[in-house]
Parts: sequence; structure tokens; C-alpha cells
Amino acid sequence: MGEEALSPLEALRCTVEVVSWVTKFIGGPGAGRKEFEEPFVPGETVRDVLQRFSGRYPELDAALWDASKKDIGEHIEVMVNDAVLGLTHTLDTPLRGHDRITLLGQYMGG
Amino acid sequence: MSPTALTRMKAAPHAHAEEIPGGYAGKLLRVNLTTGKIWSQPWTPDDMRLYVGGVGLGAKILYDEVGPRVNWDHPDNRLILATGPLAGLPVWGTGGLTVVTRGAMTNGATSTQANGFFGACLKFSGYDAIVIQGRAPRWVSLYINDDAVELRDARHLLGKDTWETQDALSAEHGLSGHRLSVYSIGPAGENLVRFAAIQGDYGHVASKNGCGAVMGKKRLKAVCIVRGTRALAAADSRGVIQAADDIAHDLKTDPSARSLYEWGTLPAVTGLYKMGVLPIKNYTTNLAPPDVNMADWEGPKLRQGFDHRGHQCSACGMHHCHIQVIPKGKHKGELVDEPEYEGWSGAGWAIGCTDPVAVAWLNTRIDRACVDVNEFGWLCGWVMEGIETGYITRAQLGFDLRWGDAEGAARLLQLISHRKGLGDLLAEGVKRAAEKLGGAAQDAAIYTLKGASPRGHDHRARWDEMLDTCTASTGTLESGIPVHVTEVGLPPRINPFNGEEVAQQVAGIRGRRHFEDSLGACIFTTRTRLENICRALSAATGWHYTVDESVRFGRRTAAILRAFNLRCGIGPEVEHPSKRYGSTPTDGPAKGQAIGQQWGKMLDTWYTLVGYDRKTGRPKPETLKKLGLDWLHKDLWGKKR
Repeated sequence: MGEEALSPLEALRCTVEVVSWVTKFIGGPGAGRKEFEEPFVPGETVRDVLQRFSGRYPELDAALWDASKKDIGEHIEVMVNDAVLGLTHTLDTPLRGHDRITLLGQYMGG
Repeated sequence: MSPTALTRMKAAPHAHAEEIPGGYAGKLLRVNLTTGKIWSQPWTPDDMRLYVGGVGLGAKILYDEVGPRVNWDHPDNRLILATGPLAGLPVWGTGGLTVVTRGAMTNGATSTQANGFFGACLKFSGYDAIVIQGRAPRWVSLYINDDAVELRDARHLLGKDTWETQDALSAEHGLSGHRLSVYSIGPAGENLVRFAAIQGDYGHVASKNGCGAVMGKKRLKAVCIVRGTRALAAADSRGVIQAADDIAHDLKTDPSARSLYEWGTLPAVTGLYKMGVLPIKNYTTNLAPPDVNMADWEGPKLRQGFDHRGHQCSACGMHHCHIQVIPKGKHKGELVDEPEYEGWSGAGWAIGCTDPVAVAWLNTRIDRACVDVNEFGWLCGWVMEGIETGYITRAQLGFDLRWGDAEGAARLLQLISHRKGLGDLLAEGVKRAAEKLGGAAQDAAIYTLKGASPRGHDHRARWDEMLDTCTASTGTLESGIPVHVTEVGLPPRINPFNGEEVAQQVAGIRGRRHFEDSLGACIFTTRTRLENICRALSAATGWHYTVDESVRFGRRTAAILRAFNLRCGIGPEVEHPSKRYGSTPTDGPAKGQAIGQQWGKMLDTWYTLVGYDRKTGRPKPETLKKLGLDWLHKDLWGKKR
């Protein structure tokens, strides 16, 4: 069976998932996860959606991007469809409907 | 002199007291267990600047005093318990110590850090480090109370675990809490288990490379230090406070450290799972069982599932270390140390145990017995897989041991700690046990050919740490974890599955960890910008210490440790993962990512960038010169420059 056909409305939405302590930067508790349905127009990239999303949350905006505000900084890991950035997507890869962008705290160890 | 004392140290000279930089006591405490002689040794301000403390100081002593024929179990091996210039000052997390020795797992250099109050107590007693040599004719403990330094009969402590040992010594001295710091070995160290650790102050463990076996071989059961009364001055007290405030602010607010400040390493469980880095059932999968809800493993849930309270180290404001109470089941009411991420991993996921209460209980059993939780996880998981697939039989082990069985794992721990039955072989660590059994057993074991135990991650999805673990000279990671990488000129992000980029990052951050481990400060509270740490060090000592000098110092220390290991016969030929450790994940987020295909190239890049010779492993002459290590040239290259 082939891919299920998506309605035009569905095709223009992706999910931004904010996980664990990164939720602090969007007014959350620093635990669990928050999900947001984000609309986008065809041709928009991972960068476009993330810039628009983080623009709504100044703390996240400061933590997510480097000084140039064009590239991701060093403290938050970005995954697209459960793959770290650089594998299947770069910041400049156009998004497809139902793609899932995850923002995850980079530091982990013990 | 105490009636139980064997020896008392002689008075220490203070000839150069006015020259000692701030933050330093100015003396090393020397102990020869064979003869019972105890003495203090001043060290010079020049050496303090060159070797700082911790692993920097320890590496130099190790290189100078432990020759190639002095194996880990030789009486002439040194056990160095070193603090640094920030220990005892009001900078967060400055109660720690760094243990440096020739360790039992690699039979090479070791640097492993633990915290609590030991470092501060030692500094307040007037010493920057303890250097222990020889082997006691009978079991002893080392007691330090300012100038009263004694070797005391410890035979009554034998068989006690580390918490029981601390309880007993606290009762004997009538001191507890922050007034007496005790670091000891448990039954595993007494019985020379190769991955035995040294544990202190109820839950802090110097765990790597069998340093507990070295202590056991020396018949030293414990070191206990009464909080001393000596003054410890900083060159610029206001400057130290200002730098400490900035570091604390950074830790509380910076994206790189904020979760650590609030939850310690707990959030790593779910975060690493998301990236395929949480090791599950001896690397056989990267997927949680269907009945496990990963939301239950979020940091706050892990903490709030227990009655708990903070268990902070000296001068620390982090919400990191906690003591908790087992809330239900067979062990209800027992006090345990809240596991670090490594405990949730080694006593939990790596052996298929997904009950947080059982993991917390087993983790403290491991600390008390007292072995490295990482190595125990790899070993226990390997045994469980062996029982399942047949390369180890129930008859060999004496009981059944299935995935997730924490009570069975504790039984295995006892077998190993006392070297009973199959436990005698397993006490050699998973590498040696697997090599002995061979075949499928060897194929399934997680280890480095060098003998160092990987940390509690699935490094098949964290290539930087696999490269670091295999090339390190410390018996564990020596460069990771990357922090504020842009400060040393590296790109903020890399593709974690691009071997070239990974190798560039591991080489590029080299030196920072050695610097941190030389300060007497916890690596979790030095998770700030190097600039801040250098400001604190400068204010403490009166030096003008720059970021460049800190990196150069760290790389110098790394090169000394590498030279030591090369002299011990440990070279590039063993800088590889075992078959399972270096395999390709078959499921989960890193499925199909094959580090083995890029390994050779990663090593090539790393060697080029750190300035070591690819074939021999030696730091190149130009590297030695750049690092101010001309004195090593003759040893490494056979002729004087």
C-alpha cells in the first residue's frame, strides 16, 4: 500500500516537540514534553520553521541559536523525524507534511 | 599517640611559606606503608604553576616515580589522592579529589574524580595531596587530623562495605557529617577485584581503572580526615567570590548547565534514549520494552518517586546529589544514594532492569561493595546474555540470572566481590573473562582492547566518547564531554556520525578535562566557560592564568600520561573497541550507523590534530616542544634534543 494521500491542510503542518529541560525556555516545567502543530508553506525549511517558532519565546531564541542567529548554537540538539540534524535533514532542507522537529537538551552524561 | 597508632609523622618544614601561592597548602603528605614512615614534602611555587594539582600533579609524580616494571599490584606503585588550588575555597563543588595511580584494568595510568568533603578536609589539614607507596604488613587505615597523621590498625574493618566502614570510623572518632571525610574500599577492593573502586562520604566514587584494587593491594582499607583547622587563604578573596558568583550564575542560567543545576544527571536517561545512546541489555537493542513508559524516566519523576533530601558536597549549591529512601518492596526504608545517570544505566538499562526502585537499590549495593558501576553493568549484562544464549550456564554460575533481575545481580555482585565460584573469573572484568571463554562470549562483551571500561552510554551512537575512551590514557574518558566548544575555536555543532568531524572535535577539546581535574573542583561545577574558571584560579593563586594556558596545561598533562602508558607498553595497537562495542546498532535512532567503517580515518585525523605519531603513538618532537615537554624527548625518542 502506498503513502496515504494528505489533504492540502495536513501537508502544511509539522510538529515541533520540546523535550525535558528545554521546556523551561517556553514556560514549561523543565520535564516532560510539549508539542506544537506548526503551519508552514511549501518550500519552507527546518530553519524557517524553527526561527518562527523560537521567535515566540525569547529564552528559547537565545538558547537555540548562535550569535549570528542563523545557525544552531551548541546547547540544544535538533532532531528531525528522530534523526539528529545532519543525517536526513539540514537546516536548509524543505519540510514535508507531518515532519517532526524535536528540541532536546544537548548535555547528557554522568 | 593513639594506642592503635603504628606511626606518627614528623614535623613538616615551612621554609617557603611566604612564597606559597594562595589556594595551596604547600605540602604533599607522603606515606610509605611498607615502613610506616610518614612525612610531608613541600613543593615549589614553580611546580604548582606547572602541574597545578589533581591529575596534573599526579601525572608528574606517576611518571617520575612509577617505572615500567612497577605494575599496578607492585608495592612501589603510587596511589595519589590529590586536590587542587580551588579545593576548600567557596567555589561550588570544591571538596573533591582526583585519584591517580597505575590502575588494575589497563595496567596503565588512571585519573578518576570523586567529590564530597575529602578535598576540603585535606586542604584544611595542610596538604595538597597524599602520595601513598608501599604495602602495609597488615591492614591499616590512614588517619589525618591536622599534624596528627597515623596509620591505624584496620583489621576490625575488614569485610565491611564502604558505608559500614564510614559508620564505624565515624563512631570511633565521634565525628560525622562534614566533620570527618572517609574514603574507603569495600570487600571488592579487599579481594582485589580488578574493577574495584574507592568510595567516600556516602555515595561519591572514584571508580575507574581499578583504583580500589590498588588500594586493596596496599592493604589500606580507608583514609579518614578530620576537617582540619589550618587557614587556607586566597590571594584575592574578593576576586574568588566574584568569580564563584559568576560561575554559580552561569550554572543556574546557562542552557548548557541549567538542567544539571536543577536535576543533576537524571534528565540524561530520556534524553539519551531519544538519541539511541542509552545502552539497553548489553547493546542488544536500543528500544525500551513495550511496557515501559519513558515519561516515567524523566528526571523529576525519578527524583520525586522517592522520599529524598539534598546531599551536597563542600560549598556546592547544585541540586545534584541526593540521598533517598527505598519506598516499597523488600528493601523498603533503606537509605540509598540517588543514582547518577551512570547508575540508572549500569545498574538498570544495561542489564535490562527498568524498575527505578530496584535500580536505586542495586546502585547503592554496587557502591558499597564497591566496584565501578559501568564495568559491573557491562559484566552483568554480558552474563545475563550468556545465560540466555548459552555461553554461560546456570550450573557454572550456580543460579539463574535473567534480564532485569536486580536481586540476582546483587547476588552476582557478592560472588564477584568475594571471588567465589565463577565470581573469581568475573572479578577480572568483562574483557579478561570474555577472552578466557572466547567464541560467542568474546563477541558479546563490551570493552576496549586497552582494558578501560566504557561509560554507561551506547557509544555506537556517541562516537566522540568511543574515540575518546579508546585513545585516552586515563582509563576512562579524558577529553569529553564537549562543553562551550566555541570558546576554543570549534564549531558549535557537528554531525555525530561524521567520523572526520567527530575526531576534530575530540582532538580540539583536548586539555580542558585535564585542567578541570587539576583544580580540586567537580567536573559538573566546572561546566562553565574556561574564562570563568581561569578567573577563579587567578584570584585564588595570584597568578594571571589565561584560557590559552589552561588548554596548554591540559594537553601537557595528557602528553605526560601518554608517555607513561607508552613506557608501560600500552600503545596504538590497543586503541580499538571490542567487536560488540564497535558494532552497528540494529534498531533505534542510530540504526545502521557504522562506526567501524570510519574508525581508521577517525584515528588518523585525531592523531594528526593532537600532534602524536600515528604509528608509535608518541607525542611528536614538535608537540613536546610546543607543550614545554622537552624533558620527555629523550625518553620517547631515544636521544636528547
